[in-house]
Amino acid sequence: MQLARVIGTVVATVKAPGLDGVRLLIVQPLTRDLEPAGTAVVAADAVHMAGAGELVYIVAAREAAEAMVDRFVPVDHAIVGIVDAVEPIRGGGR
Amino acid sequence: MKLARVVGTVVSTIKSPIFEGRALLLCDLVEPSGEASGGYLIAVDTVGAGAGELVLILDEGTSARQIVGEKHGPLRTVVVGIVDEVAGPASVAKAKAPASAKVHAKPAAKPKPPAKAAGPASAIAPGTRRSRTSRRASAG
Repeated sequence: MQLARVIGTVVATVKAPGLDGVRLLIVQPLTRDLEPAGTAVVAADAVHMAGAGELVYIVAAREAAEAMVDRFVPVDHAIVGIVDAVEPIRGGGR
Repeated sequence: MKLARVVGTVVSTIKSPIFEGRALLLCDLVEPSGEASGGYLIAVDTVGAGAGELVLILDEGTSARQIVGEKHGPLRTVVVGIVDEVAGPASVAKAKAPASAKVHAKPAAKPKPPAKAAGPASAIAPGTRRSRTSRRASAG
């Protein structure tokens, strides 16, 4: 799982079956120091609560679909949690 | 599986049900020599790994869910072991010091703890002493 920031939403009227009712958000993956890393991706919101600017963690690949109510949906990135805090461990390498 | 060092925890209230009651550890991926390789993963703890510890990470969903005993859920990355030692040419490729350059986690930390950092056995407190040990080890 990776940290990511919600930076937008995607609206699509015509979409694959199974994506109805799935909220699609644009998320920017982050390094552990919360710096942007790589390109933004569209992720399904599996927690139904992620909002703009929020720090979340995402899961990729098959496990993204596992996060959804229907587990056989065409989803490859999903938001599976909202981050309250990332707590560094003193002396743990940060 | 991957080698990583536990550097933090992720606190989260709103999450997929499979993560309820499970600790999320922020882990830096490391080379066999113990140096950070740049990447990181957020992994679910299954072994009671503590701060600063060198751990073994499994990043495959089916196996991960098998370990926690769940059939379904968006769980993919788990900490499956605490590394005592990495031996062989790979572990010393980049290290300067000879014998002491081996990456020790648990055993090396045991002798000293009562002096300082005798705090709770939470994921946060023990890190101090563990990584001090690691630094001492790599310094020779």
